[in-house]
Amino acid sequence: MAHLIRSKFQNKLSNAATSMSNKSTAKVSGMMARMGFQAATDEEGLGFAACDDLDYDHRQGLQMDIMKSDEMEGGVGAGEDGMAAGDSHYQRDGTGPPPSGSKASGLGEEEKSPKITAWEAGWNVTNAIQGMFVLGLPYAILHGGYLGLFLIIFAAVVCCYTGKILIACLYEEDEDGQLVRVRDTYVDIANACCQPRFPSLGGHIVNVAQIIELVMTCILYVVVSGNLMYNSFPTLPISQKSWAIVATAALLPCAFLKNLKSVSKFSLLCTIAHFVINILVIAYCLSRARYWAWDKVKFYIDVKKFPISIGIIVFSYTSQIFLPSLEGNMQKPSDFHCMMNWTHIAACVLKGLFALVAYLTWADATKEVITDNLPSTIRAVVNLFLVSKALLSYPLPFFAAVEVLEKSFFNEQERTWFPSCYGGDGRLKAWGLTLRCSLVVFTLLMAIYVPHFALLMGLTGSLTGAGLCFLLPSLFHLKLLWRKLLWHHVFFDVAIFVIGGICAISGFIHSMEGLIEAYKYGIED
Amino acid sequence: MERLRFSTLDSAGLLLRLFGILARLTVTAEQEGENLSGLSTNPDKDIFVVRENGTTCLMVEFAVRFTVPFDVLAINGIDLITENAYLALPRGADIEGKCGSQDADIHISWKDKAYTLRINFVKETRDKGDEVWKMSKLQFVYDTSEKTHFINPYNPGKHTASSHGLSALVTPAGRSYVCEAKQTLTLISSDHQKGVTVAMSDIQIQPFDINSDFMFSEAYKCITDQREQLEETLPLILGFILGLIIVITLSVYHFHLKLTAVTQPQLPRDRSMYKNM
Repeated sequence: MAHLIRSKFQNKLSNAATSMSNKSTAKVSGMMARMGFQAATDEEGLGFAACDDLDYDHRQGLQMDIMKSDEMEGGVGAGEDGMAAGDSHYQRDGTGPPPSGSKASGLGEEEKSPKITAWEAGWNVTNAIQGMFVLGLPYAILHGGYLGLFLIIFAAVVCCYTGKILIACLYEEDEDGQLVRVRDTYVDIANACCQPRFPSLGGHIVNVAQIIELVMTCILYVVVSGNLMYNSFPTLPISQKSWAIVATAALLPCAFLKNLKSVSKFSLLCTIAHFVINILVIAYCLSRARYWAWDKVKFYIDVKKFPISIGIIVFSYTSQIFLPSLEGNMQKPSDFHCMMNWTHIAACVLKGLFALVAYLTWADATKEVITDNLPSTIRAVVNLFLVSKALLSYPLPFFAAVEVLEKSFFNEQERTWFPSCYGGDGRLKAWGLTLRCSLVVFTLLMAIYVPHFALLMGLTGSLTGAGLCFLLPSLFHLKLLWRKLLWHHVFFDVAIFVIGGICAISGFIHSMEGLIEAYKYGIED
Repeated sequence: MERLRFSTLDSAGLLLRLFGILARLTVTAEQEGENLSGLSTNPDKDIFVVRENGTTCLMVEFAVRFTVPFDVLAINGIDLITENAYLALPRGADIEGKCGSQDADIHISWKDKAYTLRINFVKETRDKGDEVWKMSKLQFVYDTSEKTHFINPYNPGKHTASSHGLSALVTPAGRSYVCEAKQTLTLISSDHQKGVTVAMSDIQIQPFDINSDFMFSEAYKCITDQREQLEETLPLILGFILGLIIVITLSVYHFHLKLTAVTQPQLPRDRSMYKNM
């Protein structure tokens, strides 16, 4: 009897508890819904994704019919799926398109871009996060000491996390509990977040920020190659502008890039060049290991000069712009997290090692760009590899910029102002190629005529870079997925938002100061 | 030698006449030195002219800055520290000069002869029979007891800094030397062999064979300027070649597309785009 009563009592208690917790979650849900946070899953998006799968299967079947009627082959299985380039392929998490049996060579359709492997995605991410700014890291350690080293590691962790949450925003859970990719690009995520009131404002803002960031990166590479070549051959009567024109002539073939696979090849070569540079400098520093100044690494910070170094360290890990399209083009998207972890670990270790070793070798004499400290023979070789690295890094942001521009302005399906750049057979039209060439020439003209470009880049980078890499991913993650977030995820997102905001503001202020000073004193770049 | 001084207003009026009509000034002495603060945009640039027999025989137009090291007593009262004084050749300095067929010199002094700059030019014949003229000697006399530039000097006094074995600004005879880029020379001072740096920029000099009054003969550009000219035209040439490459590439691609166009079977429109409506 007693245990009956006890169990009844316990049942009543547990019922009361669950009803109370339900009420409280309902209250919280209501409050959050009123604040604009997502109150339900994106059923509409899920529905469309399911429709697209059905449509895909239907067209596969149609293709098979066409193949059979055209060629009377006994081929089974699906051919190459004939989607127009630029179309997105919705896929279940972890699986790729149905394996193709016979080839669709008879149809001659190569519209779908080939998928990239996880390694190739890794080369692309490495291209983005291990950029030219690694040369300024020893100078950052000079002014920041151990804090600089800590920041290098911390920034890698934070950027890896924000990259992952950004990709998590692309997926929604359907009724079966499986994750379905309902959104395709950064713009789609932004649109989904502003859904009820401003359906396309977020998309426009993200578009503009993306285009600015990508085009500025391209221009920076042209400026850097011109500058490096000019400093490598001071005796020749070729000025920096002429070298920039020569570099652009070498970059013109980028206008023919079709898909991420070819871009990945360039990124692989770029990563190799970067490793060679690192090995050269680190080997030279190790050869002088006897003279290392271990006691010179400080704990305190040089308050005037360190904030700029913060900017260099923190914004050098920005790869979030490329991640949606990279992940969408991967053969096995489940490898994405693993790839992000390994690339960021590798970047963090290499950068930290490079910065520390170079600083220990030259201590107080460390210059703003570490190649100025090197003896002239090594400097010449390193400069050569740096130029090749700058040229090989250009295709990735250029291709991404072209993709963004084509999707926004030259997309037939979305009823944009201009018709598609691609013809019926998926090949680039001649005027599409003209537009790409004009983008290359535009980057050249900006590289030549804009003075103090590095400072300008610092200014825009602290706004668009910080926005796209820290502020927006955490904001979108909170807004779209907050129902599924654990409390520590919410805490991380809020913390990253705040830290990103602080970095952005400080970077903006210092860049403005630097620009104003440069214009006042007419300092030449 | 008599020297004539002109106030700024007169100099401006004089320069206007100079650039308008060729006027002959009345001769009051055998030689006159004139300084004309010109209408140039460079505030340090000035033109110094030596006239003989009513016509100009030596014209020097430049902007000069000097870096003069001098000794100062340290706080401990025992050691000597070397400080640098930075001077510029002012406008309206006094001029003396002498012209000749093979030699010419000009002496520019200011602050009551506290500072004097003496430049010597010679004309010579090279091996192949070409005649050239060049700057053969540069001498700078300075007084460290002059208060405005030298602060607390140790053992103030007058010192002379001279060049040794100088052969600069070599120009074919009958032409004037023009150089916009900065040229730096180091003179050895009598004050403990310290090095005085003389930086000249925006130069136009002609010490011999001046044909008309106040008119420079044909300009001969220094090598740095010639390189700069090449450096300026090169981007235009390269840009033109780049444009040509782009146009050729585009036309080749266009014709390639036209020639290899293949008709494709029409597939049904992709319904997955409905969500964007």
